[in-house]
Amino acid sequence: MDQMLSPNYSIPSIGTPLHQMEADQQIVPNPIYHPPAPAVPEPAVPPQQPDAGNSVISGSSGSGLFGHEPTLPLPHKQIQSYQSSASYQQQQHQQGNNVGGGTPQSLMQPQTPQSMMTHITPMTERNTATGPDSLSNIHQTMGPSTPMTPATPGSADPGIVPQLQNIVSTVNLCCKLDLKKIALHARNAEYNPKRFAAVIMRIREPRTTALIFSSGKMVCTGAKSEADSRLAARKYARIIQKLGFPAKFLDFKIQNMVGSCDVKFPIRLEGLVLTHCNFSSYEPELFPGLIYRMVRPRIVLLIFVSGKVVLTGAKVRQEIYDAFDKIFPILKKFKKQS
Amino acid sequence: MCYISTSCGKKINMSYQLYRNTTLGNTLQESLDELIQYGQITPALAFKVLLQFDKSINTALNQRVKARVTFKAGKLNTYRFCDNVWTLMLNDVEFREVHEFVKVDKVKIVACDGKSGEFNG
Repeated sequence: MDQMLSPNYSIPSIGTPLHQMEADQQIVPNPIYHPPAPAVPEPAVPPQQPDAGNSVISGSSGSGLFGHEPTLPLPHKQIQSYQSSASYQQQQHQQGNNVGGGTPQSLMQPQTPQSMMTHITPMTERNTATGPDSLSNIHQTMGPSTPMTPATPGSADPGIVPQLQNIVSTVNLCCKLDLKKIALHARNAEYNPKRFAAVIMRIREPRTTALIFSSGKMVCTGAKSEADSRLAARKYARIIQKLGFPAKFLDFKIQNMVGSCDVKFPIRLEGLVLTHCNFSSYEPELFPGLIYRMVRPRIVLLIFVSGKVVLTGAKVRQEIYDAFDKIFPILKKFKKQS
Repeated sequence: MCYISTSCGKKINMSYQLYRNTTLGNTLQESLDELIQYGQITPALAFKVLLQFDKSINTALNQRVKARVTFKAGKLNTYRFCDNVWTLMLNDVEFREVHEFVKVDKVKIVACDGKSGEFNG
């Protein structure tokens, strides 16, 4: 597989160049739903559904965090999903929480002395923050050189940036595929039509898994960044092309993103579920985490006692960041004192 | 690192023919060809013999062989699963049988389902 495609290959026959647009621009604001071809049942493709409420975590082959999670009962789904953000804010204020639903970070009152040391990180900066960037961010906010300015209320942002763990994308290759031929000639392919009507193929760089359907639709999972997901999908398309199919590369779309982070303090989930009952469900006998269905941005968060948080259901990276910025002050309120 | 223990190849009504391409299978086929050439047996009979060979070697390997060889591969280079057959290409494989020890650069494993076609004679 390694020699199959070098990282800097070019595909002249696939219309679009490699770095045509930035990842954010590729995503249509009002995405058109492309249903799978009716001939092929695609049972294991939850990301096709635009309803983020149902796809708690889909196809997390790369993250390995919650690959086989059972679907959880959603007792208050109707209420919590469609509550207006205004009533959400109101509710927040009733709870004596300074942090309203739509309040910008900069207006927040500091809640702990630690937050006074932090400075406001602009969202745009966050956008590009990758591994080393976010590290330096932490050093900046936590470092001893940062002057103490108790007069100015700092942001609640502790410098924690959610890391992307998994990205699920779909693309249409626009040609009917002979799956058996693909399974016999491509490497690292599995095809068991009795179990699942798609070829499962993997590549090592970027480490991803693809589901290839005979309709020509493809699902690519496991990438850790938008660019990687697109690159991987193109590599799969190239492999299909090399096997003699007239594969195109149309309607590439990121369907789901999963991020995770650690707030580094334990959380009282019982308290959180009581005050945010419209948004959250916590059934420790079913699942040890609290499921928080945020309305704006529409993100589902799994919050664990340990302080680890998983965010899923995003179509763009910023939604994950926004959701974390919104949940962090709430989590701090329910920090376990012991 | 992957660690696998061996087991593969049994029979359906017609047994797997994957052992024809072994030393034993090849020499049998050569002998049968020779006999056909000298007119001592008919091709139909040779065919029947080969089918019996498939059947016998599958049961023999399944039931009579007690020796166990373990092997450990440094890397799974590629894999394929199609038509219920796994094909694995391994690199840096160490085979081990109590005292004996062999190291091989490349190993190809072809493995079929032993259960689905289990033949109980």
